[in-house]
Amino acid sequence: MDILSTAFLVALVAGALRQTTPLLFTALGGMFNERSGVVNIALEAIINFGALAAAVTVQLLEAPYLAADPNLRIWWIPWVGVLAAIVAGVLTAWVHAVVSIRYRADQIVSGTAINMLSFGLPSIVLLFLYHNTTASKEVVHRILPISSYLPFLQDFFATPLGRILDQSPLVYLAFLLVPVTYFALFKTPWGLRVRSVGEHPEAADSLGINVFLMRYQGVLLSGVLAGIAGAYLSIDQINQFIRMMAAGRGFIALAALIFGKWHPLGILGATLLFGFAEAFRIQIEGAGVLPSPILQAFPYVLTMLVLAGFIGRARPPAAIGKPYEK
Amino acid sequence: MSRVLVPLVSLFFALVAAASPWFVVTRAFGGKGVLLAPFGLVNPGGVRVPDFDLPWVPLAFWAWAVLAVLASLAYLFLTGRNRARALYLLGGLGLLLFALEAYAFYRQVAEVNAAALEAGARRPPLKRYSLSLGLYLQLFYALFLLVLARMHTPGGAGLLVRYRGVVVPAVSLLLAMVAGGVLVWLLRPIPGLREPLSTYGYLVAKLDLVTYTFQLLFGPVLTLPGLFQSALIATPLIFTGLSVAFGFKAGLFNIGAPGQLIMGAVFAMFAGLYLPGPRFLVLPAAIAAAALGGAFWGAIPGWLKARFGAHEVINTIMMNYVALSVMLLLLSKNEWSFFGHVVHFPFKAPGYEPKSLEISEAARIPLFLNLLGFKGAGSGELSLALPLALLLLVLGYYLFFRKLELGPRVLASLAAAMAGYLVGGWLPGIPAQVGADLASVRLNGAFLIALFSVAFYNFYMWRTKHGYELRAVGLAPKAAEYAGVKITQKLVLTMAIAGALAGLAATHYVLGGGIDEYRFKQSIPYNVGFDGIAVALMGQNTPIGVTLAAGLFGVLLTGGLQLNLQLGISRELVLVLEALIVLFIAAGGFLPRYFTDPLLAAEFLKRLAPEAEKEVA
Repeated sequence: MDILSTAFLVALVAGALRQTTPLLFTALGGMFNERSGVVNIALEAIINFGALAAAVTVQLLEAPYLAADPNLRIWWIPWVGVLAAIVAGVLTAWVHAVVSIRYRADQIVSGTAINMLSFGLPSIVLLFLYHNTTASKEVVHRILPISSYLPFLQDFFATPLGRILDQSPLVYLAFLLVPVTYFALFKTPWGLRVRSVGEHPEAADSLGINVFLMRYQGVLLSGVLAGIAGAYLSIDQINQFIRMMAAGRGFIALAALIFGKWHPLGILGATLLFGFAEAFRIQIEGAGVLPSPILQAFPYVLTMLVLAGFIGRARPPAAIGKPYEK
Repeated sequence: MSRVLVPLVSLFFALVAAASPWFVVTRAFGGKGVLLAPFGLVNPGGVRVPDFDLPWVPLAFWAWAVLAVLASLAYLFLTGRNRARALYLLGGLGLLLFALEAYAFYRQVAEVNAAALEAGARRPPLKRYSLSLGLYLQLFYALFLLVLARMHTPGGAGLLVRYRGVVVPAVSLLLAMVAGGVLVWLLRPIPGLREPLSTYGYLVAKLDLVTYTFQLLFGPVLTLPGLFQSALIATPLIFTGLSVAFGFKAGLFNIGAPGQLIMGAVFAMFAGLYLPGPRFLVLPAAIAAAALGGAFWGAIPGWLKARFGAHEVINTIMMNYVALSVMLLLLSKNEWSFFGHVVHFPFKAPGYEPKSLEISEAARIPLFLNLLGFKGAGSGELSLALPLALLLLVLGYYLFFRKLELGPRVLASLAAAMAGYLVGGWLPGIPAQVGADLASVRLNGAFLIALFSVAFYNFYMWRTKHGYELRAVGLAPKAAEYAGVKITQKLVLTMAIAGALAGLAATHYVLGGGIDEYRFKQSIPYNVGFDGIAVALMGQNTPIGVTLAAGLFGVLLTGGLQLNLQLGISRELVLVLEALIVLFIAAGGFLPRYFTDPLLAAEFLKRLAPEAEKEVA
């Protein structure tokens, strides 16, 4: 294998973008809840439930159409799946929000409980729907890369650059969200309020900002974004839900969030690092360079190194993890 | 307590009791039941059943309705002692009524079965008969009235807050069961439903389905093999529960128990495969190796936190994934290529299944039945050695040597236990029969190690200086630091001990053959590390609590097998219940805050104190 061949580089970069996308969605979502002062370990669960909701919704929606005509393709079905993932993500985040904001629970315990729920509950749903406990039926309607929407650019998508850019719309959405969240968080009054309740809720409260409301918004927003990440995993990267599909991405996103210093640009850099590491691992997996279990441990070890090396210098939101009492 | 609460609870009780099955007359395999409710017999599966009638059931329902109305009225219109007296009376009457109904039902069942057998039936026609939701509700309602009465006698007002360590987990368990019940109601159709039921019949059948779910889950407590199997499943839960509780006490959240367990198993496997020597040396060394592996894996995140301030939650989770990789590396193949060089590993057993070679005889922990002197199924003798040793240990510690200092006290108790073991071994055993189903349960000596770990946790945390410092760090790290506790050292040590406790769980799986073979198998259920979180929270980090919570989950997980067999509901329902319990405990059981915050609780009790004195005067 030639490390510097064009084919290898194209596969590496394209793979890195794909691996970065779910992390970027999740970490940007996590940024909102952490900036508002709530720790959300449940990101992992939100991804899982989002992935489940997307796959199940698409499968149930497409089943009657496919029964009539197996070759039928309907463009809106996967997007309803994304919507379902958002709803599931928001619901999951809402549970965390209620327990940790309204009932002032230990946020890490609450998040852990929701994560445990996301390991068990999907199996029950899958058993009910598909008579097995580990995976959903494969769906036909996946989110397709943009080349399928732009057939007149076929020639361009055959070039190396085109192959890198031929990604799913969700990949573009994720990277587009970086400037959008930057603007929302740092250039709007709403963003200032979110940050203020995470830094000094008492002061924000005395200025008439509703601390609870802002925190609910922050957490629910993380549900939206991590939910999309789930949909990306189940109906975009592959075509079915698999139990524990998030595979630690929620936690890696948290590490990226810390490494990226709670800032959209930092998060972009951190998730790209993880994305490239993962893509690189996948690329060299078959080459017999190192045993695959060692390679599989790589992103997790990297996360620990990153946390050990950089957390000391980053400053988290001051009021993070503390329930607010009026 | 708000005034309308009691009438509301009474109304709710009466309504649900009206639509509940009271008795299950008979039940076929698969959940089809013949259900006796206050307003009719419901038979959704069309099970054939001999004539069975309890004409007094509607009457009993109205008696309960009157009782509920009286209780509400007594609560609303009486005050002080009269209220308490009335509630005591009604609660007592309720208990009596409950006992009478249960007795009458079982007698009727026995009569019908006897009559059928006499008439020539080969088997008794009524099987798996039981009390059902209606009766359980009656029992709980009667107990509710009694507790309420106690709360209205002098000094009783703070009862629930004083026992909040029990109340919060109990309420959380109840809420989780309700949520689980709703889930079952929604997802599982009525077993064996032939034709559409009336609305009333539908309600009864659905409530029976939910009740049967929980009857199956709690079912193992009723049989000896069930209890053994529950203890088997509870064993690793005790270890991981202690591990998480140990971290909690020092203000650390150890989500790394799964990884620590795996590393414990790795080290135990090394010891079991390669340590030569006699059993009395190799076995303790192998057990220590398991603890060491876990301690090593736990100490790393502890050190990262102490040295770099990296949060232990994310790091322990990452360590879980890394441990999984280590396991895959050792067990999934024997041939790996490092940069083109092929390296051979000697661990994996030949064959398709990823598992290690068998560990040596000397490193194996004997089965619990063997420890009790039995040699497998059939008739044998119950040796008194172990029971007597444990008895003398406990008696010695709590009775004979109470006056001694801690060290001599422990040593003396251990000596008493040794003496008990020898004397018990010399005494003749008690002849007993061991059924095949009991002999097939692989409960082993690791259960005893778990109990010793509970004792260790108790000593270390509440009887030593180190434990005291550790709890101080957990409650107020700054204050502890000013008082001279070396926080960084404590962090590493705490995580190491927590890891060691989780690692010891591997003794059950690898050394004790908890999953059928004396090997390190890739199917080792490392997720019990997450269950440990639920166990620790449910047990409120106390030694007794952790043991009981582990037992509870052991029972539920054992019952989950039956649930899968009989109703086709995934065993994962138990995991969902566990997660909900953790969630609800985190939210303080949705109870007022003086149930969770010790300062508010003290304030609440103080406010009550003068009132209680007034009442006495």
